[in-house]
Amino acid sequence: MDKSLEKIDLVKLLIYLLVFIVITLFMILFVIVPSVKEYRVSKSTYKKAFIHKARVESILLDRKKELSNLSSQNRRAITSFMHKFSTDNFIKYAGKFFNDVSLVEVSKKAYKAEFVEYELKVSTSLKSPKNFYDFLDGLNRYENIVQADFPIYMEANNSKISSTFTIKVYDINSTK
Amino acid sequence: MRLSFIAPRKKYLFSMFTKMWIIFISFIFIFLNIFNLFVIYKNSDYISSTKELNMQRAILEKNIDETDDKISFILRQKAVAEEIYANNTILKDSIKNLFDLVPDQITLTKVIMEKNSLVIYGITPTKDTYNFLLKAPLKSIFQTSNTMFYLTKNGWYNFVSISKTLDPKEEM
Repeated sequence: MDKSLEKIDLVKLLIYLLVFIVITLFMILFVIVPSVKEYRVSKSTYKKAFIHKARVESILLDRKKELSNLSSQNRRAITSFMHKFSTDNFIKYAGKFFNDVSLVEVSKKAYKAEFVEYELKVSTSLKSPKNFYDFLDGLNRYENIVQADFPIYMEANNSKISSTFTIKVYDINSTK
Repeated sequence: MRLSFIAPRKKYLFSMFTKMWIIFISFIFIFLNIFNLFVIYKNSDYISSTKELNMQRAILEKNIDETDDKISFILRQKAVAEEIYANNTILKDSIKNLFDLVPDQITLTKVIMEKNSLVIYGITPTKDTYNFLLKAPLKSIFQTSNTMFYLTKNGWYNFVSISKTLDPKEEM
């Protein structure tokens, strides 16, 4: 019969206790503590990354909202720039105000990096200057972005006024 | 032949006391290792989650840049459109103002409008009518205004007026 539990050897007990303490301390100090330190660092990095991502997400939402507001507020300007200029449509529009409209393309050049400026010469005849004012008023509601420009030439010709002027049509530079 | 009065005791390699200690120490060792493995697992989980969050953030930031580009492009389109609409309105007002300036006594036959100059051909009953009713307002608008008169057969005057404003760039 084993009587080691009845008669505890104090020296053995102290040795085992020492072994237990050494192993436990070794595990805690050299294995667990470094792991826990790494864990804490990665947890704090994760939290920072989470907060950073949440902030970026909220900024993106704000920007998207701003973009959608701007798009709806400037829908006409955006669609006008997107719309391909048609000489036939323009002659049809100018025909509401003038007679004998003719259009000749003069030049095409880049404008402010993202746009293309087509310069066209318009020759017309009109009954009174009021037709010209109405034409210019309507130009701001036309399907393209069109600017009437100098030089403007007007000459009285019997009961009509012959007129020649320049228009500049602005389009998005599709090559950019 | 028996040499001892007591039966021989069974000898163990480890006593019960030693076994208990070995089991206890092993249990603690295993428990600490399991705990350590758990910490390592959580650590690697956080590291991979952080990587994923950073990747998602990078995509979001790219999205922000693209949205910013779109916003600034819309703003540039708006600015160009507004500038052009304003120029059309200014041009209309300029032409309207010019024709409003011309009194009923004077008839215009030709007008050439440039950005910084205005050439008017017309007919006036007298030089004074032109000078008082048209030359004065033209002079107030343009920096130089020169007029030439040609007497017609019926006693009226054909006139050619050349008015100019100096381009601010030329002035410098």
